[in-house]
Amino acid sequence: MPVTFGRDQVVEMLASYGDRAPEAVPETIDSLELAWLIHQVEQRYGVLLDLSDDELVKMSTIDAATEVLRRTVAGT
Amino acid sequence: MTAVEPVLDLGWVDEVLLAGPDDEVCLRPGTPVTRAQLRTLVGERQERLAAAGLRQGGTVALRMPPSLAYVANLLAAWRTGAQVALLDHRLTQYEVDRAFETIKPQVVVSGAATGGGALRIFHKVTETVAAHPGQPAATGHALLQLSSGSTGPSKVIGRTAANLVAEVDRYTRIDGVPRPGERIVVLASMVHVLGLVGGLLYGLHARARLVVPERLTVDHVVHAVGEDPEPATVLGVPFHIELLAAVAEAPPLPQFVRMTTGGELVRAEVVQRFTDRYGATLGNMYGMTEVGVIATDLFGKHRPALEPAPGIPVREENGELLVGLAASPYVGLSDPTRFVDGWLHTRDGGRVDPQTGLVTVRGRLDSQVSVGGLKVDLTEVEHTLAGLPGVGAAVVVFDNGIQAYVMLSDPAAGGGLADALATRLAPYKRPRRLHILDQLPRNATGKLIRNSAALRAAAGDTKGEEAH
Repeated sequence: MPVTFGRDQVVEMLASYGDRAPEAVPETIDSLELAWLIHQVEQRYGVLLDLSDDELVKMSTIDAATEVLRRTVAGT
Repeated sequence: MTAVEPVLDLGWVDEVLLAGPDDEVCLRPGTPVTRAQLRTLVGERQERLAAAGLRQGGTVALRMPPSLAYVANLLAAWRTGAQVALLDHRLTQYEVDRAFETIKPQVVVSGAATGGGALRIFHKVTETVAAHPGQPAATGHALLQLSSGSTGPSKVIGRTAANLVAEVDRYTRIDGVPRPGERIVVLASMVHVLGLVGGLLYGLHARARLVVPERLTVDHVVHAVGEDPEPATVLGVPFHIELLAAVAEAPPLPQFVRMTTGGELVRAEVVQRFTDRYGATLGNMYGMTEVGVIATDLFGKHRPALEPAPGIPVREENGELLVGLAASPYVGLSDPTRFVDGWLHTRDGGRVDPQTGLVTVRGRLDSQVSVGGLKVDLTEVEHTLAGLPGVGAAVVVFDNGIQAYVMLSDPAAGGGLADALATRLAPYKRPRRLHILDQLPRNATGKLIRNSAALRAAAGDTKGEEAH
């Protein structure tokens, strides 16, 4: 079964850092949030992300991170 | 204030830091680096710095991310007897230009991270060494660091070699620090005081191997701790505890003895999760750029209180913590109320227990906040924002990150604010969100209101313009 992976999931995982409301999550992702997000994805989806420097640099907004992660996690 | 004579010592690097067996691995940023290799790297950098004109008593600024090149240049400059100014590599050119008006380096070493560098703790850098129209050292400080300032340019903080060596010695006398033959897994930045003195300088001195995980992910940190059998202490900031505590389960890591962080305390449930997962002791430290380590609780025995570090007098005055120092840590013009009669006013609220002498820190008394372990003065952000063309007034608060509320004098300026700010402030100082309001909320006497809830309410449903 294909894994559902989209913007909502990324926002939800970012919101779990510091127990924030999803509305309180800014569009931009700072380096600490990125570390948090990667870990959340690995844990929830049971994958080990081996992203390149280029891919990690791209993940500076929720939309861009969703795109990189969707490709890697869901393979779409 | 006693002026520090501009005599710069150079023997201490070999005596205090680089001494030890040639084949001992002292630094492990991926590939192990032995003491002999580090001495060679330092020697090469010394030649390059000399070729750029650096002499004993000269000045050099390092503007590079944490890296092996940074470590080698820092030690090389000190070994030359030069004064080193450390600039966070994320500062903008605007901030660096303003810093150079004060610190006037004769040589600048810049290093850009190659290949992005997201989540890297140590970066791969290509360095450039260039002569710069500066001046020889005006004081005997071996180290100059900038602090986010509340008014105008940043404060410049100076540390002499003797003062740095004294801090290293202070660490050796604190129970619970890594011992010779053990390891320090460094997550804190070696460009700032905790990672620099508590990690790099102490580790080199105490012959505790410095291990730098390849990336800041749980897997890489766990791997770094687990790859060797020697006891490991992880040195970081509170976020790192949160990150490591977020794992569902951790592999057995009997060598993970302690995690020590500086900065604010983490929530009790995070402490519990961390302890359940790893069984390692959570230690806490309190320090500042001006002093280095001030108080510690490396066994988590006194949480949230801490024990003053050996030889550091701490007292309380009107709810503020004061630290006794032999000389003012500030270089050049500074607020005369920060250092009075041998006491540094920390601007940290807190208390000292009259019976036990234990110190409890209760947060800032001014507008300074901590963003991922880096200190940011909100007033600096506010002044910078208010100084941009088209901005009528601005209020900056810390509310789930740095939030800026802005009233425009030129409605057309709104769209370009984030970009304009990006040229003036390092990324970690920038507001996460810029809220553009028709009017900023004011109290009855017309003063701007700084209450987060009131500002949020005033912003209403107005979607903040995304910053960065």
